[in-house]
Amino acid sequence: MKNMLTKITCSFIALSAVLISCKKDTLNIDNPNTLTATQFWKTEADAQSGLNAAYTMFYKPGIWSRWIYFRLDLTSDEGWSQSPWIELGDWTRFQYVNYDFWEGNVNTFRDTYKAVFRCNQVLDNIENIPFADNNKKEQIKAQAKFLRALHYYYAALLWENVPLVLVTSKADDMPQQNTLQEVWAQVEKDLTEAAQALPAKWDDASVGRPTKGAVMGFLARTYMQQHKWTEAKNALDYFFTGDGRGMYSLVPSFKDNFTHYNENNSESVFEIQFSDANIGGGDGDDPNQGMGNNREQFFAPRGIGWSDGQARHWMVDEFKKEKTIDGKLDPRLQSTLFYKEITQDFGDKIYGRDWQWGDDEAWFRKYQRDYYRTTEDYYAQVNNRLIRYADILLLYAEVLNELGQTASAYQYVDQVRARATLNKLEVTHPEIGNDKAKFKERLKMERELELCGESVRWADLKRWGDLDSQAAVDKVAQRDPDFKNFVVGKHIRLPLPQQEVNNNTNLKQNPGY
Amino acid sequence: MKVIKHFLKAMLYAFPSQAMRKATLLPLILISSFGSVFSQTTTKVSGTVADSSGSVLSNVTVTEKGSSTRAETAVNGAFTISISNPNAVLVFSLLGYAPKEVSVAGQTMINVSLQQVSNSLQDVVVVGYGTQKKSSLTGAVSVVRPEEIQKRQATTVGEALQGLATGVNVRGGGQPGSEASIQIRGLKNMSNANPLYVIDGMITTANRDFNPDDIESLQILKDASAAAIYGSRAANGVIIITTKKGKSGPMRIDFSGKASVQQTPKYSLTATPAFVKLNDTAYSNAGIPQSNWQKHNLNNNTDWQDAAFQTGNMQDYNLSFSGGGNSGSYLVSANYFDNKGTVISTGFKRIGLRVNTQGTKGIFSIGENVAITNAQSDEMSGNPYVDVVRMLPTISIYNPNNPGGYGYGNEDSARTFGTNPVAHADLEDQKNENFRVRGNVWSELKFLPYLKYRLNLGYETSNDHYNYFRKKGSWTLNQPDDPSIANENRARFQSSLIENTLNFNKTFGKHSVAAVVGQTYQHDYYEQIWGNKRNMLYNPTTNTYYKVLDQGNTPTTGGYINEAVLLSYLGRVEYSYDDKYLLNGVIRRDGTSRLGAANRWGNFPSVSAAWRISREKFFNVSWIDDLKLRASYGTLGSSNIGYWDYIPVINTNSTMVVGTDQHLEAGATQVKLVNSDLRWEQLVQQNYGFDAVFLQNRLSVTAEYFIAETKDVLTPMPILLTTGNDGGNPYVNAVTLRNKGFEFSATYRENRTPVKYFGTVNVTTLRNKVSDLGYNRSRLFDGNTVTAIGNPIGMWYLLQTDGLFQNQAEIDAYKNKDGKVIQPDAKPGDIRFLDNNGDGQITNDDKAIVGSPWPKWEMGLNLGVSYKNFDLTMNWFGSFGAKVYNGYHSVVDRFDDNSNYRSDVSPWSPTNTNTSFPRIVYATTLNSRGDTERWLEDGSFFRMKYISLGYTIPARALKTIGFSSAQISLSAQNLITFTKYQGLDPEFVNTNIFQKGFDNFAFPNLKTYTVSLQFGF
Repeated sequence: MKNMLTKITCSFIALSAVLISCKKDTLNIDNPNTLTATQFWKTEADAQSGLNAAYTMFYKPGIWSRWIYFRLDLTSDEGWSQSPWIELGDWTRFQYVNYDFWEGNVNTFRDTYKAVFRCNQVLDNIENIPFADNNKKEQIKAQAKFLRALHYYYAALLWENVPLVLVTSKADDMPQQNTLQEVWAQVEKDLTEAAQALPAKWDDASVGRPTKGAVMGFLARTYMQQHKWTEAKNALDYFFTGDGRGMYSLVPSFKDNFTHYNENNSESVFEIQFSDANIGGGDGDDPNQGMGNNREQFFAPRGIGWSDGQARHWMVDEFKKEKTIDGKLDPRLQSTLFYKEITQDFGDKIYGRDWQWGDDEAWFRKYQRDYYRTTEDYYAQVNNRLIRYADILLLYAEVLNELGQTASAYQYVDQVRARATLNKLEVTHPEIGNDKAKFKERLKMERELELCGESVRWADLKRWGDLDSQAAVDKVAQRDPDFKNFVVGKHIRLPLPQQEVNNNTNLKQNPGY
Repeated sequence: MKVIKHFLKAMLYAFPSQAMRKATLLPLILISSFGSVFSQTTTKVSGTVADSSGSVLSNVTVTEKGSSTRAETAVNGAFTISISNPNAVLVFSLLGYAPKEVSVAGQTMINVSLQQVSNSLQDVVVVGYGTQKKSSLTGAVSVVRPEEIQKRQATTVGEALQGLATGVNVRGGGQPGSEASIQIRGLKNMSNANPLYVIDGMITTANRDFNPDDIESLQILKDASAAAIYGSRAANGVIIITTKKGKSGPMRIDFSGKASVQQTPKYSLTATPAFVKLNDTAYSNAGIPQSNWQKHNLNNNTDWQDAAFQTGNMQDYNLSFSGGGNSGSYLVSANYFDNKGTVISTGFKRIGLRVNTQGTKGIFSIGENVAITNAQSDEMSGNPYVDVVRMLPTISIYNPNNPGGYGYGNEDSARTFGTNPVAHADLEDQKNENFRVRGNVWSELKFLPYLKYRLNLGYETSNDHYNYFRKKGSWTLNQPDDPSIANENRARFQSSLIENTLNFNKTFGKHSVAAVVGQTYQHDYYEQIWGNKRNMLYNPTTNTYYKVLDQGNTPTTGGYINEAVLLSYLGRVEYSYDDKYLLNGVIRRDGTSRLGAANRWGNFPSVSAAWRISREKFFNVSWIDDLKLRASYGTLGSSNIGYWDYIPVINTNSTMVVGTDQHLEAGATQVKLVNSDLRWEQLVQQNYGFDAVFLQNRLSVTAEYFIAETKDVLTPMPILLTTGNDGGNPYVNAVTLRNKGFEFSATYRENRTPVKYFGTVNVTTLRNKVSDLGYNRSRLFDGNTVTAIGNPIGMWYLLQTDGLFQNQAEIDAYKNKDGKVIQPDAKPGDIRFLDNNGDGQITNDDKAIVGSPWPKWEMGLNLGVSYKNFDLTMNWFGSFGAKVYNGYHSVVDRFDDNSNYRSDVSPWSPTNTNTSFPRIVYATTLNSRGDTERWLEDGSFFRMKYISLGYTIPARALKTIGFSSAQISLSAQNLITFTKYQGLDPEFVNTNIFQKGFDNFAFPNLKTYTVSLQFGF
């Protein structure tokens, strides 16, 4: 009996010993699904992949595949919303009730910082990765900086006082808030550094990555938003007197800027490369993720797409004010808008349909794919020409005018007008002469007619001060009654997501909200 | 023996780790080396023990009075005891029976009959790795009688538990195949509040694959001392289920059949004429010219509820064969369960087979419990409970002009993005099928009457199959033109459990000691592959699609693996002196693969004590039969997180488009942030209670007070958007949460009169309070709630309303102290909001905490009466004092966006001013905004969950047809509800704990009427 107890005890001790000895291995289970972060960021290829993942952010709905067009195009006086989804529409007419409205605010804010997180990972990790060719390393860093600057540029336009996150995030981060000036300064810094390493041109396989021209375009825009005209001119000089001279030209057909044919053409300064390769893919970071633009589905007329956003009709009238040198309608109108008389004016149908909508309604036609389809979906492959040479020409004209060189500004406007077969500006509008203010006023409309629906209008209105006084806003409201809701000093910027203000004690809500 | 050895060997192949095989081999050696029965040379007395009806009783303890010699009866009731004194007195005792003393007086063969005692204190309670007498319990344990569960028509055990135990809150069910959510003693953490299920020793979940009819006993371990033996997984409580076993005797056949019809509650919505009137008013109030109003299609008058809902039905059949002999017992049972849902195109079907057997030879016993189940569900597409509200009566169900042929919104005549539920059910179909085998094999070796070794090998596997098919066609306005899609995944889940335990149980005079030590190992493994195809082949002749993945194009596939291990050591000592002073100590040490190496191991101790005052000599109160005071203190844990949440990983799914050829290049980056230093969440709980029995066992009362503090709660606490994190918030040990509660339960039972009756009332009150939120935060906002330190979780944080403006003068007069008109845009009939910060405008800063989603108290009431062969039972459940958000009203009453409307609204108008319902206006969110008090309601309710009338057919009548028992009953569930709540069902579930009180079109409880028949022969 005693013997037996001893045996049992011994056996049990032995058993426990076996278990204890195996516990270390037993509880170590490697994740069989993917690399861990510590196994990554070792090679040049890792750095390149990390950078590519930052480009993937262009396909996220918070920003360039969907909602940012609501902020930049619909909120401006070019567009509006008649969406039955009232809250979605309210966010295009300055009726911001719930600051945590995902589609109107939070998604865009989150995806902006998601992109920044990816850029920061590249920039922080690349320093420890050995490169055979240091130039390649610098180019990867420069691209990451360009992308980070691009996202902060739009964050500055939208919310202004955002925190600058410049290192790889940690879960418990609580960054300080930055002023608009500080955000602009960081954008300038990143772009200036990116310009050092980026090539003027990429080889065919890399076309679509930012060139030095793309950097200079954004740098000029950044300076111009701050009215730093001299610095802006210096940046833009790249295209006219610098290394970029002669590299860009307007494509003969205006329409070529808005279809999936003839992408990355001579007019293209920077394009977001969209593709319909993964039709059916989702927005998430999953296999088979979608890489198309959803804008087309959201902006297509009722019955074709969601029609959550459409164009204001006043632009049709503006286009019709001036005829071409051979007495026809401005050909840009045909490619820019859908409106009731488009069949009568140009013989075009609307996605193969007759006009069946309101008499004073209009929709954006740029980027819409009616040129080869009768329906839309979430996977439009048409590249978004974020900066094209026509924009550069008009920006240059604006800068020269601001610097008092109005006379030399004409030629750049005229290049743009010439493609539209319009007469020279000085011929059509001799009253302007060298009057800086008058020139600027006309230039505003020249930009509108050329760039309508291309997501530059909101920045333009801000830069021109058209939203800074009640008198100015009243003028805008004549074109777009949504601006009757606009409160000067408040709606110039979006509210920060309320949850972010609540959860980050370093953050103050934007003034007025 | 050899057979067993082979069998055990075979089992070992089920376990992956080499080390684990070694671990399990040792007990095998143990079994082999103690294979022979040891003997003594004294007088042997043997015999059989049976109950009053003649059924043999096993596990009856036979002791020689005044000595330590003891024996136990076997499965066939037989015992043999070797005694030194041929004139000794033998004491026969068994829990639940009155002990009996018999003088041996030289006999060598003694047959004894024991009398059952109907005192619940004598019940045996399974407490995990052992059993205890209810009277000896020192912790908080609820026992639910299986008949109570089986009487109800329920898919899962959880659903049937409501109101049957104090402190156990159950919500859910209704939808075919849906699983109920259970909260034991309030919210312990932020993730998964469901308790741990232990079925026949297998640690698992009692999901819809488990047949409630298989339950023989069910106990709920509620406090730390009771649950500590399950350590790290017990923080949410433990539900221990033992399945039915065969009983000694000839084969018994039992059948039960239940058939039910089910009805969903419905909304009271407008039909076309009333709808048109309200809709036109809303447009008119918005100043929209009449030419732009909806051009209603007055020919349509669709009742979308009739279209989407149907009368459901359930059938549940159980057939079992059971019996046993001298050395073993068996039970074979089969189950067929079928539920046609109350929502079109939904259903659930289960076919199950169970085989439980056990056998004994000498000191060795072995047994197995295995259940094989196939469960199929046809899942609901979208949420028809929203759809029927958002669809307008002016839309027809079918419309041949639309792609797919179904009616939906139209810009001119019916402007809504509502989903046609009939179209959605047809065009998008989801099916789930799970084939599961779950069971365990155990063997016991009783070296000595007081020492028992047990090896338990549990194994569970399921083959899961998910099918999704999307036909071409639309169910809502302006829907993108999607192709047909087939998506299918197949997965396998496996969980293996190895447990070695040693039980010691001995009485030394008045001292009694029971102890258990053990080790357990559980390995979980899941793998899935999926495939997706588009543009599936269509057969125009039959109007059907070919759904196999061979068809279609643009294939995509994927797959992943999850794996985890939990390794534990456990020990428990119970000591009692004269059944008067009871002490209990438990410790469990757990190691998990889900946490980083430095934080993997956690210790979870607990102690508890009880004092049965009624056994003291000085206690001399004739009307108190038993009185026990209890106290416990203990720590439980939780690592209820993902498999590798502590390791940051690289997402390699990113792609970019680049190049003149627009080719794709791969990207990879970290998308989701993690906190690498995750550690065990710990629940420290104190429990104080008493159990008392009065009036000759007629009245029993239990009351408990507990304080539970959960520290380092593992929670995916929202982190800042500026981190750029995606893929879900990372887990963090952040919150500290305190629950204090009081539970009271009283039962009065009268069995001695011709009319027998009983009544049980149980009452629970609970308060939770957050004392830390992590990330240095003092408040956390989620939806319309705020969780602030010092307050309960998820308090309503909304704009306060103050009636309606009756005229322009009131609007103009509504100013702040600086004279600023607060709501200058308001019109008469609009809601007046409180400008709490006095800044003269209504903003987020004016929001205030306006109510708690937590009920102040909850109550269960069980009543029963029987007379001769009839019995009537009912069960009521009530929850009182919660403020809930009526999601239904927040949609149907908004008017800014078109939906159907309630048929009984009385909106403000210049001629109808005596109303609290504001002016209705299309396209402005002024009155309809979601973040206001307008949508809060009192969520109190008192509901008859169950009522049943049964008739037991008299034995005499049955004999003639060869039956031994038969019962027929009629019952109903959710028949009567008292509530002021105006939503569909006050008893709703919202799985987001921060928005617990938000009734977001939850699937309601159904009215169910059941006929059931049970018989045995």
